[in-house]
Amino acid sequence: MTRARHRRRPGVPTILLYAYMALFLVFIVAPIAAVVAVSFSSSSYIVFPIPGFSWRWYWRIVEYRPFISSLIVSIELALGSALAGACLGVPAALSLARSRHAAAGLLSNLLLAPISVPAIVLGFALLYYLSALSFGITFLSLFIAHTVAAIPYIVRTVLATYRALSPNLEESAAILGATRWQTLRHVTLPLVRPGVFAGALFAVLTSLDNLPLSFFFGSANTNTLPVVMLSYMENQFDPSIAAISTVQMLIAIAALFILDRLYGIERLTAV
Amino acid sequence: MPPPVPRRGLRPYRLAGPSWCLPVVFFLAVFFVVPLAANLLRSAPAGEAGGVLFYYEKLLTDGYYVGILLETLKVALVATLASLVVGYPVAYFMVRHAGRWNGVIVFFVVVPLLTSIIMRTFGWRVLLSRRGLLNAGLLDWGLITRPTDIAETSIAVYIGLVHVLVPFMVLSISSVLQGVDVRLEETARVLGAGRLRTFLHVTLPLSVDGIVTGCILVFVVTNGSFLTMLLLGGGKINTLALLIYQQFVTTQDVGFAAAMGNVLMLVAALCFGMQYWLLRRTGIRR
Repeated sequence: MTRARHRRRPGVPTILLYAYMALFLVFIVAPIAAVVAVSFSSSSYIVFPIPGFSWRWYWRIVEYRPFISSLIVSIELALGSALAGACLGVPAALSLARSRHAAAGLLSNLLLAPISVPAIVLGFALLYYLSALSFGITFLSLFIAHTVAAIPYIVRTVLATYRALSPNLEESAAILGATRWQTLRHVTLPLVRPGVFAGALFAVLTSLDNLPLSFFFGSANTNTLPVVMLSYMENQFDPSIAAISTVQMLIAIAALFILDRLYGIERLTAV
Repeated sequence: MPPPVPRRGLRPYRLAGPSWCLPVVFFLAVFFVVPLAANLLRSAPAGEAGGVLFYYEKLLTDGYYVGILLETLKVALVATLASLVVGYPVAYFMVRHAGRWNGVIVFFVVVPLLTSIIMRTFGWRVLLSRRGLLNAGLLDWGLITRPTDIAETSIAVYIGLVHVLVPFMVLSISSVLQGVDVRLEETARVLGAGRLRTFLHVTLPLSVDGIVTGCILVFVVTNGSFLTMLLLGGGKINTLALLIYQQFVTTQDVGFAAAMGNVLMLVAALCFGMQYWLLRRTGIRR
């Protein structure tokens, strides 16, 4: 900061850049703030600015069963698929990060590939495939689809975290007599944990909003929150959508903040 | 699993053997590779009249579908360029000016990713509709005389797309800009180059890696997205992904939808191939 103080007065381009940043932040926040504002509206149709303050739309989402039950499905799905993605992805990432075999590059491309396939294409292909295997439209099918989508996020961050670590730490543990399992449990996993959690967070956030993947598997027991919201919007257009959106965003922000407290937001974006 | 032999010399210690990959490879083979391969077969009806490539012929010769294909690419291109123009100054600001406020700005940049697609489009509809905030403001300032409905137009779609895509662009560019030594810019200034010249000849070329990565990511994501077009476009913008959604919801023409999906995948594969090629050629990649 001392260097900045020694600099000359900010020129016109710098002032323009600051003004642009202010505009940009307004652009980013405006639609989100509008939804939060509408969620407290006392009116039953959507007007902005709102005529009065009320909690009625939050009561409405508590009363409207599909919102709550689909939110529970969404959260179970997001956490379950991130966990399954970690169980499958972390060992593979640990193995691939240190491998010099020619196939390792190819394999890591395979593990990262689901990110590049449009979700609507993956969902469509999986629906017909899993139906042919008579999995049908069940929570299990949805869970499989979201796990496929979670794997690349976790593999990507664990690969990056583990590559930055020195192999000497694990080698020391091995030389000091630790078994392979002890080394994994007491040395490796604690060291790569930030990468696992960062990847899992990305996977959870993507899963919560993965409408293109979820809407193929829609039924009373497997509807996720975005699917229910979309069909609700087709019939009614009232502020309860704004209220449930706000709740969903608060959940996501809470998850981010917990992780920030644990590991730091800068480390999450650095990967 | 091989026994843990302590190795010396060039080979680093390896905790995890190749067998640790087996579960995930098996899982992805069964639930990712095979389904997509089955999709390829589904799009090629063997027994039907019109041949194996029937659906692809329809897609690439019928004027209506060619138009949609071109519109898909156009929408993705415009959204990508708009995100680049909007996002570059933000990335530059984060790296060169934000200082200790960087964490706060990162938070605001990724905020759209914490909200659902429904929330974002809903918000834009509130702001852009005939009785929305934007119209009210423009009327108050006397910039317009009659309110216009901006929601349900292609402009609304582009606004919605840039809003959600710009974080990817900003993070891709800022991570590369972070590696550009500020002394290179200062040297150019000391040697007499103006701000614009320094930017065009030093900063911009050195950040081209991030621009390529960000642009290709945004382009591919736009190609695959349809909800923004569905909820904000009011039928004004038709893209391939939207058509797949409509095929599934209404006509259930499985083979044709599968063929369209494969074309989308081909476009994505070409883009990532191009990225690989471009980044190799520039040689900036570490």
